[in-house]
Amino acid sequence: MIVFEDVVKMYQNKQVVNHLNLTIASGEFFVLVGPSGSGKTTILKMINRLTQQTHGKILIDNKDIASASTVVLRQHIGYVLQNIALFPNLTISQNAGILLEANGVKREKRQQLVKALLHKVGMPYEQYGSRMPSELSGGEQQRVGIVRALITKPEIILMDEPFSALDPLSRKQLQDLILSLYEEFKPTIVFVTHDMQEALRLGSKIGVLVNGELQQVGKPQTIINQPANALVSSLFNNQRITLIKDLLEAGLGQKITADMSIEAPHLKSTQTLQELAAELYSQDSVIIDQQYIINQRHLLMYISKY
Amino acid sequence: MLNDLLHFVMTHANDIIVALEEHILLSLAAILIAAVIAIPLAITLMNYRRAGEVVLQIAGIIQTIPSLAVLGVLIPFVGIGTFPAIIALVLYAIMPIFQNTYAGLTQIDANLLEAAEAFGFSKYFKLFKIQLPLAMPLILSGLRIATVMIIGTATLAALIGGGGLGSFIMIGIQTNDNAQLLLGAILSAVLALAFSWLIKIIGKLSLKKMGILVGVAIILLGGYFTGKALTQPKGRIAIAGKLGGEPEILINMYKELIESDNAGLDVQLKPDFGGTTFIYKAIKSGDVDIYPEFTGTVLQNLIKGQTVSHQPEQAYLDARAALHEQADLEYLAPMRYQNTYALAVRQSDAKKYHLKTTSDLTKMSSQLTAGFDHDFYELKDSYPGMKKAYGLQFKDVKSMSSSLRYNALANGQIDVTDAYTTDPQLKADKLVTLVDDKKYFPPFQGAPLVRGDILKKYPSVKKSLERLNNKITNQDMINMNYQVTVQHKAADKVAHLYLKKHNLLK
Repeated sequence: MIVFEDVVKMYQNKQVVNHLNLTIASGEFFVLVGPSGSGKTTILKMINRLTQQTHGKILIDNKDIASASTVVLRQHIGYVLQNIALFPNLTISQNAGILLEANGVKREKRQQLVKALLHKVGMPYEQYGSRMPSELSGGEQQRVGIVRALITKPEIILMDEPFSALDPLSRKQLQDLILSLYEEFKPTIVFVTHDMQEALRLGSKIGVLVNGELQQVGKPQTIINQPANALVSSLFNNQRITLIKDLLEAGLGQKITADMSIEAPHLKSTQTLQELAAELYSQDSVIIDQQYIINQRHLLMYISKY
Repeated sequence: MLNDLLHFVMTHANDIIVALEEHILLSLAAILIAAVIAIPLAITLMNYRRAGEVVLQIAGIIQTIPSLAVLGVLIPFVGIGTFPAIIALVLYAIMPIFQNTYAGLTQIDANLLEAAEAFGFSKYFKLFKIQLPLAMPLILSGLRIATVMIIGTATLAALIGGGGLGSFIMIGIQTNDNAQLLLGAILSAVLALAFSWLIKIIGKLSLKKMGILVGVAIILLGGYFTGKALTQPKGRIAIAGKLGGEPEILINMYKELIESDNAGLDVQLKPDFGGTTFIYKAIKSGDVDIYPEFTGTVLQNLIKGQTVSHQPEQAYLDARAALHEQADLEYLAPMRYQNTYALAVRQSDAKKYHLKTTSDLTKMSSQLTAGFDHDFYELKDSYPGMKKAYGLQFKDVKSMSSSLRYNALANGQIDVTDAYTTDPQLKADKLVTLVDDKKYFPPFQGAPLVRGDILKKYPSVKKSLERLNNKITNQDMINMNYQVTVQHKAADKVAHLYLKKHNLLK
């Protein structure tokens, strides 16, 4: 659990973070979203003390982060950068395992962990392990960046606009990847983005930040449906991307029981309503998260209501 | 020329190997020490930009001081030989290594450093895993620049008794021996290439292996130099000679004379010990106890504000008194020959026209063409003054490169040139020098210069050395120089034969 207590950050007499009080629960995928200059990256970097707050306290699991050494603190916090920043002098597998190396993990063990995780992000060790970062595309590089941050199984992972420099296709693939990794490892993720769509797609909770001031914290649906103020609603107005899970949360769809046997295409609840509609155009029904079944009637009902 | 070169290589293979070895060790030691100073300094200062800039400025200023000046300044503090040579080279090498290392470390992408910071790397892990490897290409290029520079500059070590390939270059320049000059230059260039190539290879190793290699090299070199310092007998008496064959012959005579009179006295020779200024500083500081010097050189270069008498006896007495007063040095009785300027003609012409003195030449100078070394042609106290003193009127006077003038004279392109009176080329090219009968040039008579404290400690040394008083004629010296510098005979053998032939040994 990460707690901000009345945190203020000044840059040359300008207040960039204004009396922030925020609690991020353990295991949450918390997305901090806001336009550029809103102070979101500053907040992120205060968690691993790359930036020092001017005033206030930050607690992780009830311990003031100022009390521990930065080296120890940072070893438990993963970090993924916008510009990826793989070390150009090291191979992919060396980059992926560098945090293990820094912690003194033996070479064989290191290799084993790197192999497994690289495989998981779709970058087989045999094919990519000995390549240099410059030989990879941006999307591939950031996969390695994610592996590098995850390799030590940190309880907290900080991600600073990690996909904003990627092309739309890679961005979508990496969003899917980070969601599935999140499902698997359940770390606490603090994810900074200026992309509202990305925030809605990824966050289990979203904090909306404008001009250093936290406007609203809530689940994606709440942010969209009950914006706390005009600022928030204007930010998300054009971003009304509805997901399949919104439909499920509205109580539509049918739970699959053991005695049912259905042949139908599979989709995930994190996919958009648009994708669902495209599927249902040619199919009677679709299976969601292997738990629910949705048909054309459910979709039409949702659209008519919301 | 190529034949000369080959001949020299064949006859001096041993000397060449020793010089190469000295040069390599000198350069290697300088580069290692400079790297061990400059790289950690750059690492320390990379986070203190202002201090880093200050050090860059200082290193830059050191860089601009001429290397000869650095050597000159160092001698009073650290003496002569290998040690000050290494210090001077280190001073030069620090700048490019520091500059490149500093640039390499401070120009690393800030994002990478932020990542390293955010990952909680320790300072050392960050340094050895990220910063140094990323800066390595620049560090290596700094090392390469320093290496090439050091190998070039190390040729100057010859001036202060540091040995190395510079000996060939200096002697080559001094004695007009292009083969030696070329050899020294070629070997230095080859060495620079080889070192550069070696650094490239080392650059491909991992940091750990590099560290091990550097460590081993430091231990080996350190061992070599301390071993050398320990095993080298602290010569009771150190006799040095300037660059060239003639001083080497003389100091070998000194050694033999002293040793034959004083059984058990340890005499150490330091041949090719650089130029006048360095060797004089060395004898004053006690690094050298004895060396042969010319009266003219003493009066012109070593004693300030002295008018030079053109009477040899008076010149010697003036020099002796001044040296005794100024530096507590004893100038023992001189030898007979004079190594001074004179005009030279072909032996055949001398016979034909009965030329013995410069005055003889004056009478018929209007029929002759002269060719002089550029300096001799231009400097006021050389040809222009001499022309006035004797009333010389040549048909034509050419200014030419000093290396060409003997050949030109022998081939008949010119009839008269300037010469040193003991040059072995006089013999090689069948030339004679004319007596300076109006004593236009100051006398250059050789005599042993000895530290006062040495004579107090070993009074018999004076007697031994003065046995050469009034010995060795110009012709003797020309012959011996010819044997050593043209025929490449060993100087100690030539010296021994002379002493024996003239019954100067006990």
